[in-house]
Amino acid sequence: MAKKCEEFISGLADYIDGEIEPELCEEIEKHIGQCNNCRIMVDSLRQTVRLCREGKEEKLPPALEEKLTGMLKKRWKEKFGQA
Amino acid sequence: MSEAEIVKRAQAGDFEAFTELVNAHKDKLYAFVRKLTGDPDDTNDIVQDTFLKAIDKIDQFRGEASFGTWLTSIALNQARALFAKRKQGEMKPIEAYLPVGATNGEHPLAEASLFDWEDPLANLERAEIGRLIEEGLETIPFAYREAFLLRYVEEMSVKEVAATIGQTVAATKSRILRARLALRDFLSKRFEAKYGEKVRRIH
Repeated sequence: MAKKCEEFISGLADYIDGEIEPELCEEIEKHIGQCNNCRIMVDSLRQTVRLCREGKEEKLPPALEEKLTGMLKKRWKEKFGQA
Repeated sequence: MSEAEIVKRAQAGDFEAFTELVNAHKDKLYAFVRKLTGDPDDTNDIVQDTFLKAIDKIDQFRGEASFGTWLTSIALNQARALFAKRKQGEMKPIEAYLPVGATNGEHPLAEASLFDWEDPLANLERAEIGRLIEEGLETIPFAYREAFLLRYVEEMSVKEVAATIGQTVAATKSRILRARLALRDFLSKRFEAKYGEKVRRIH
């Protein structure tokens, strides 16, 4: 079982991102079916990326946007002579 | 009008066209830099400087990558310069985050948290998860964090990330995986502390 877990680990990232050969994928899936810890690991690694993408969506704050607009206009005039 | 045409107009000195580009990319760039730095003031400075540098260098943009990717690479250079001055934590080896040392399906040597997350969004407020992700990302050294965010937030391929950070594909893959494992472990420990009891009661 220890060997299986190590084999599983070596292909982990490619497996989770769906970039693995079908044969190896099948072996990993079989292992996950038998090893609860590795199942938890795969599931939570998937969720880590999902939460990162779906988590708090930051937007440019209005105060910064206002400041930025002025700064960009000034820099543009310096470069192109008009804005 | 395609983005390439808008860029051409901007390169010819049309400020309105440049403003269109800024509006199209400002929120995505801000969100990326915020995750990269974890700090609102650093984020403001980097976003500001990125757009100013984009004006300075707009004639150099050749369209090999998308305008968004070009802006991201300018922001990354600014962030790298900032973090080069700051002390970075060390990354543990991959094995430290994995359920290894197993015997008969048990994992006695595992350092990794093996709490079953279930669905974090059903157990915690989205804003709280966002805060935890921000905290977790801050614990990851910059070189690993940038690779992870480029891969999964900017959704670049591993090859594109490798080209952007100037590393081999193998080294890039390793950085991305280590950052992902470290963040998973951080979140797992926090989730267990925050709603572990609730999950255990159900099972």
